[in-house]
Amino acid sequence: MHPVIRLVNRNLTISLNMGFVIWQILFPLIYIFVAGFAYTALIHQVTFGNKTLDYPAFIATGMIGFNIMNSTLISGIIIWNDRRHGMFEQILVGPFTRAQYILSNVYTIGIIGLVSASMITAVGYPLFFNKVEFNILTVPLVIFASITGSILFGSIASIISTRLKSSEGFNVVINTAFLFFAFVSTAFYPAQGAPPILSAAFYLNPLTYLVDVVRAGIFGYFNGLVATEMIILGFGSMALFLVATKLLSKLEV
Amino acid sequence: MYCIEASLLSKSYGDFIAVDGIDLKVEQGKIFGFLGPNGAGKTTTMKLLTTLIPPTGGRMNILGIDAIKSPLEVRKKIGVVLQQPSYEPTLSVEKSLEKYGMMWNVEKRIRKDRAEELLSAFDLVDIRKKKNDDLSIGQRRRVQVAREFMHEMELLFLDEPTVGLDPSARRGLLDFIKSKVRDGLTIFFTTHILEEAEYLCDDIAIINKGKIIAVDTPGELKSKFGREKTIKIHIGEQRDISSLLSGIKDCKIEYDSGAIITVHSSQSEQVLQNILQILASNNMTVEDLSVVPTSLEEIFLSVVKNSNASSD
Repeated sequence: MHPVIRLVNRNLTISLNMGFVIWQILFPLIYIFVAGFAYTALIHQVTFGNKTLDYPAFIATGMIGFNIMNSTLISGIIIWNDRRHGMFEQILVGPFTRAQYILSNVYTIGIIGLVSASMITAVGYPLFFNKVEFNILTVPLVIFASITGSILFGSIASIISTRLKSSEGFNVVINTAFLFFAFVSTAFYPAQGAPPILSAAFYLNPLTYLVDVVRAGIFGYFNGLVATEMIILGFGSMALFLVATKLLSKLEV
Repeated sequence: MYCIEASLLSKSYGDFIAVDGIDLKVEQGKIFGFLGPNGAGKTTTMKLLTTLIPPTGGRMNILGIDAIKSPLEVRKKIGVVLQQPSYEPTLSVEKSLEKYGMMWNVEKRIRKDRAEELLSAFDLVDIRKKKNDDLSIGQRRRVQVAREFMHEMELLFLDEPTVGLDPSARRGLLDFIKSKVRDGLTIFFTTHILEEAEYLCDDIAIINKGKIIAVDTPGELKSKFGREKTIKIHIGEQRDISSLLSGIKDCKIEYDSGAIITVHSSQSEQVLQNILQILASNNMTVEDLSVVPTSLEEIFLSVVKNSNASSD
């Protein structure tokens, strides 16, 4: 078996415990079904491109991107845990290169991102099925968003993991980043109607681009804005991945 | 044949020289002890030899492979138990062994059998289902050492492997290591516990301030540096006899609680004879007398002290 596959196997085994899986399903379900229906009284319908969506359909699709971000941030923490528990050095004195270790983390994050996206798509599907418009772009757009989004958020977690030394600092930074990504985005509410400053802040957040591209795929709506968001997502993930790789390859042991 | 051959190996961090041009030769099938005080350069040397960090200068051949040019080829053939704990907190003890074997590409059936053997050899059977996070420091250390035997290797680096172990677990581990050496394994072993080195090692090197200051077998080190013996004399009465013995040369005498005299001397036979004569001429009886040969610990302390003095 190739060393990278062996490391991915190990990464998945240590990441996918029952708590993680329950958290990954339960957390978005609460948002979809509790917040989704409760906020319907406040937000009846949302315009997305040429479509008008019910709020539960809007939030269910937002949760796909949200779950990719959530799960890949968590799996990006593998590096932090490996450093904290001595496994980073142990792996590097084993039959692996640093490049293989980095690559295995990227694959792990990608797999977890895709699985998370699939799970929430399956769970949220009843809420948005009447608006789904499958076309030639649907699957490629959702997969593109899942992969680039996973790499982007996994890289962010990896960068944080390599830069910080104390657990307290790490927790503060990762929780603050999570709050910003989750709630200053179009995952939960549309940018239209929000105060201009907040609306602008949405577009400083990569989750907004991820969620918009997922929605574009699911609701079959593609325009110039979506194309721009895809480019930003693609270049952003590549840039952050390069930074994460560089920092990881220089990480002292 | 040598498993490790290093010459002029050095590692610097800015102006600080952690390892200063050391030469090392470790024979196949031997246990090589690497001793030194805290911060002497033991762990840095270990990191260099295991290819975890590149050297600043020098050459090293591990198992016949140029370790600077082909570090991965070296790592495929060695095992390493690092000084710091390493574990997967969410995995159980048996899963840790199994996954570690998988990481080393050990066949599934062999992994299973080997894990069972190691669980039993390292007294881990009762805690096999416990998660690493729930283990004591000593239990975790046992898992960490046991795990390394999941894969085949020709050379094993052990950096203070008995830290945190109770005496029986420590002895069990040392005996397990000895049995593996009988099967052909070579061990590079660092420790602070000098009795361990004496019990286990065929050859010993002492490092201080990044330089190797002594290399030999424990026996040869003792005969080279251990000429000084310690004599304990228990006299029958509590009396200040320091003035009586003040004329004796070539020794250092300590007077403990009046009735016990401890003498350190490299001329122990002559000094003892003189002391006994003085005691007899003063009608003092000797209740007990013992001569303690110099331990490896004393040699270690003496060698390091001399090295510090000469470098100052």
